[in-house]
Amino acid sequence: MSDYILEMKHVRKEFPGVVALDDVSFSVKRGVIHALIGENGAGKSTLMKVLNGVYPATSGEIFLNGQQLDISGVKQAQAAGISIIYQEFNLINTLSVAENIFLGRYNGKQTVHWKALREKAKALIASLGFDFDVDKLVGRLSTAEKQLVEIAKALSFDAQIIVMDEPTSSLTEKEVDMFFPIIERLKAQGITVIYISHKLDEIYRLCDDVTIMRDGKVTGNSTVKDISRDEIIEKMVGRSLDMEYPKRTVTPGDVILEVKDLGRRQQLKGISFQLHKGEILGFAGLVGAGRTELAEAIFGADPADRGQIILNGKPVSIRSALDGKKNSIGLVTEDRKETGLVLAMDVTENTTITDLKSVSSGILLNRKAEEKVAQKYVDQLNTKTPSLHQKISNLSGGNQQKVALSKWLYSNSDILILDEPTRGIDVGAKYDIYCLMNELTEQGKSIIMISSELPEVLGMSDRVLVMHGGTIKGELAGRDMTAEKVMKLAID
Amino acid sequence: MSTTLKSRAKNLVLSNGILLAIIVLIIVTGIIEPNFFAWKNMVNILRQVSVNGIVACGMTVCIMSGCYDLSVGSIVSMTGVFAILAINAGINDVLCIFIGLGIGLLAGIFNGSLIAAINGRGGEAFIITYGTQTVLAAVALFPSKGLFIAGRVPDGLFKLLGTNNMPIYCFLFVAIILHFILSKTQYGRKLCFIGNNMDAAKMSGIRVKLNRISYFAISGLLAGLAGIILCSRVTSSNPTAGLNYEMNAIAAVVVGGNSASGGSGSIVRTVIGAIVIGIMGNALNILGFSTNYQLIVKGLLIILAVALDILSKRVKS
Repeated sequence: MSDYILEMKHVRKEFPGVVALDDVSFSVKRGVIHALIGENGAGKSTLMKVLNGVYPATSGEIFLNGQQLDISGVKQAQAAGISIIYQEFNLINTLSVAENIFLGRYNGKQTVHWKALREKAKALIASLGFDFDVDKLVGRLSTAEKQLVEIAKALSFDAQIIVMDEPTSSLTEKEVDMFFPIIERLKAQGITVIYISHKLDEIYRLCDDVTIMRDGKVTGNSTVKDISRDEIIEKMVGRSLDMEYPKRTVTPGDVILEVKDLGRRQQLKGISFQLHKGEILGFAGLVGAGRTELAEAIFGADPADRGQIILNGKPVSIRSALDGKKNSIGLVTEDRKETGLVLAMDVTENTTITDLKSVSSGILLNRKAEEKVAQKYVDQLNTKTPSLHQKISNLSGGNQQKVALSKWLYSNSDILILDEPTRGIDVGAKYDIYCLMNELTEQGKSIIMISSELPEVLGMSDRVLVMHGGTIKGELAGRDMTAEKVMKLAID
Repeated sequence: MSTTLKSRAKNLVLSNGILLAIIVLIIVTGIIEPNFFAWKNMVNILRQVSVNGIVACGMTVCIMSGCYDLSVGSIVSMTGVFAILAINAGINDVLCIFIGLGIGLLAGIFNGSLIAAINGRGGEAFIITYGTQTVLAAVALFPSKGLFIAGRVPDGLFKLLGTNNMPIYCFLFVAIILHFILSKTQYGRKLCFIGNNMDAAKMSGIRVKLNRISYFAISGLLAGLAGIILCSRVTSSNPTAGLNYEMNAIAAVVVGGNSASGGSGSIVRTVIGAIVIGIMGNALNILGFSTNYQLIVKGLLIILAVALDILSKRVKS
């Protein structure tokens, strides 16, 4: 038997007008954790969809255990032992864990043998080293637990290869620490894992081999221990990034925003801090620490019920998102698809929505003026879109995020609150956004950045405030800004 | 190349399938009964659809915002009853028009305020407007004890509204104004935002509640106008005149090719939808189909319209 469990040879996939995969050869050794990395649009997901039978390849061959495999649909892939866990889970919240694992396969002719089903589900979860109630509704599980259910589901198909598409993108650091041993455990059981991620740290922590893709081609193959971070990044983006984070060049000025003893219900308690002109103020903490709640209180979308917000020395009353906007505060929300953008509308419409008056003559919208505005921000932010009238849903995550930023730049926000500004976007777009943050602060704007990625908060902020349980636990600046100190404050 | 042509043709059929089917029906009817194409018949059809058309214009606004307004039928009935009562009480006929419009507007604001107060979406709006439908239907029955009221309508603007082609002009006037507002103004853009994603609209600093109230206010106001035109036409009021009007209005919106789930839409499509339903009824009449068959065809047409809308969305994505 060959060393390789999976060999994809010379795979080509064309979509009308686009070559998504160009002569891609991808081989995975048996029983390893193999990282697949590349910017959004590099072709990782397309390659995995070819493997999983979602897309038929235009040409090329797939070998499993040395035997050629003809995958023409998801069912065949599953039967061959290939399972994929997507970033957005394929689980039904209103069904139980056991029902989800065996969805569509409730053995028994007329009736379902619930008892047997539950026991099998329990055994699967137990094989991952966990023990929880398989009758619990999936909707009540944490993201990490849902992840477990997805893995259990994959195992129930007797999967030999499990593909995980950015599995940690919505997990907290703590959950990630719990999650990695599970993957190790799968490996120990002889299961091969293909691990798609943007996060280099994870790859060094977890993976054995790495394949790097760019623009539909494979640009590198290596064992993880033989390749440096800089080499990986260079192969991903085709240019070498001197650093992951551009240098801060701005010295913060006077206080522009002061928050005094702010509170809301039980979510936020006694929040006080100052934001300076030209400053990037990082907010670190675990998911659920109250950072998003604080952002919404300052912006007005979910107003505070106690305390004071002082802008440029004057107390202001912010009772709604409209008040926030009027006071030149912009909030780029954590979830761009749900609350940041309207996916079914185009780039132009999503950009100008925060200030339609400036692109209207009288009551009439002026399309030309709108396009001019949209074009300006497409250029400034280097947003990649085939046209100004492309629907947001057709853009990649990074470009969507740039449009979400554009709308608040257009409304002329002096204070920008960025909630997880780089979640789920690729390295190139991340770097663009970091540079933009520097550029904006040079222009005198001030930024509050909420991020669950520690290196990012530490790399980009002038100061870091750490939240826990709806309060600010501490402030770190200068030399004290270390991952250890942040975590110490965040966890307690 | 041929594949793109094919998919384009497929798209064309999917987005205009209903219209194509109706055109076939029209041609067949025209061949069997040439009088069908007579100018007089066409004007007659337009007159018949104009009341429903006005209600449907208001309904378009609500549906674009992601809500259905089920109360419009009852508003039509109620406005008619009160307008005729006011006329018979000797109130100036122009004032009576404003009383009618005011009643419709208030009913709409009532709907909108309730829905805005609970931050309601499509589901809540459906139930709440069903509630007001039930209540307002009863309110229309009270003063007349469920009977017709003959109106002593003097010559004047009130009477004029229902005579000759005046309903058609009203319909077209409403349609043009509303089309302009929805497609060219900030208000229309915000409507699309709210209809697509209420949360994102709120987070962009749009006053979602105020806008929400205005959508139902427009719907109510136009239902009021329809109620007045309806009783001006027959110079009497029938407390159940507006029965099922909400459904006819929804049918016009959907058959015209507007999305049933909101976020986009066009008054032009609604106008086409209203006319198409009118033409279809007329053609089936001429071809000798009974009302029962006509209802079956209409029902199937609505289902088909929604199915085609979903399919064409799928093809596009």
